[in-house]
Amino acid sequence: MKPIHLNLAARPYRDYRPVYAVVVVLSLLTAFLMLNNVDTYLRYVHETKSTRAEIAQIEEQTRVETRKEQEAKGRLKGLDLAHLDAQTRFINAKLAERAFSWSRLLDELESILANDVRLLSVGPRFTDEGDIQLTLNFQSKSANGMMTTINRMNAHPQFKEAFPTTESQDDTGIFSFDLAVTYLPEQGVAR
Amino acid sequence: MIWQEKRVLLGILGVLLLANVVFFLTYRVQYQSRIDEMEERRAQAEGQLDRTKRQRADAEMSLAAYRKVERDVQLVYDETWSTQPKRLTAMIAEVKRLAVASNAIPRTLSFGKSEAKDLAGTRRSKSVGAREVSIGFSVTATYEQVRRMINLFELSNQFVIIDEINLAEADPTKLTLNLRIKTLFREERTTAGGAGL
Repeated sequence: MKPIHLNLAARPYRDYRPVYAVVVVLSLLTAFLMLNNVDTYLRYVHETKSTRAEIAQIEEQTRVETRKEQEAKGRLKGLDLAHLDAQTRFINAKLAERAFSWSRLLDELESILANDVRLLSVGPRFTDEGDIQLTLNFQSKSANGMMTTINRMNAHPQFKEAFPTTESQDDTGIFSFDLAVTYLPEQGVAR
Repeated sequence: MIWQEKRVLLGILGVLLLANVVFFLTYRVQYQSRIDEMEERRAQAEGQLDRTKRQRADAEMSLAAYRKVERDVQLVYDETWSTQPKRLTAMIAEVKRLAVASNAIPRTLSFGKSEAKDLAGTRRSKSVGAREVSIGFSVTATYEQVRRMINLFELSNQFVIIDEINLAEADPTKLTLNLRIKTLFREERTTAGGAGL
């Protein structure tokens, strides 16, 4: 006898188990990742909170410093720097002239002058470089007076680049000569 | 067929998973690099702050240096040089006093004055708010008296500059000394650096 297979289903049978399995796996995976991500985000926000606050504070300080710098520069722009510089250089030059020791210069000149040479005039000129240029006028009884004076100045550490301007002899046989020389009083002090 | 029937659910789950994977890869995997990046930003901000502080300090130091120089200049102009009405007679009296002290009294004094210029010379000479006054005289004296007079001028409390010395033989024991000294006076309108006092 042939058995009877009764199919009483209202619609065809479908096996959804693979779909549900995938849905469950995806859901679990998504939930795990989401929890992890939320934890990561909260931790990031928490851990960088102080750093972000510090950055904000530093940037505020920078703005304050920049404003102060601009104010100082603005005040500097309004000043007459060139005029003050000119006055300062002028004062320094005059203070150097005032500090110039004529007594020491005369001592030095006394030490180098030969017996037959005498000093008639001396005039200093203070250069921008801080040197002192002397213009000297001498009289000598001998024809070698000028050479002797130049040689002695060249051998002296406080005189440099002695150079004659004129030499003449009058009717009485007296020689007159002018010299220009650089005077270095500081080296004498340091020596 | 069964997958198509559940495609909406699967799609939503797929999108959610994808979004979480992207977030995971960018935040979780690169977590340390993001923290480092934040630290780097802080370091950059600190560097910028340090630079700004230095620039501000430089600007304020320049300003303070200017003020100090201005005060010093004004001190020289006001106290040391002063104005001609205030100091000229004191200066002449000092010259006469020192001449008496060195026993070499001049018969004649000659005076001159000129406006002082800055060191730039004639090319761009500019008034520095001071005037030079010179006093010239001639005395007959021994060499020792001449040296003493020069020394006294160097030690004077007045701002005296010996400008030029000329010597000539007067007789076998004495010299004729032509001396020119000068001093400086502040002009009445002078203010240091052009700033008001």
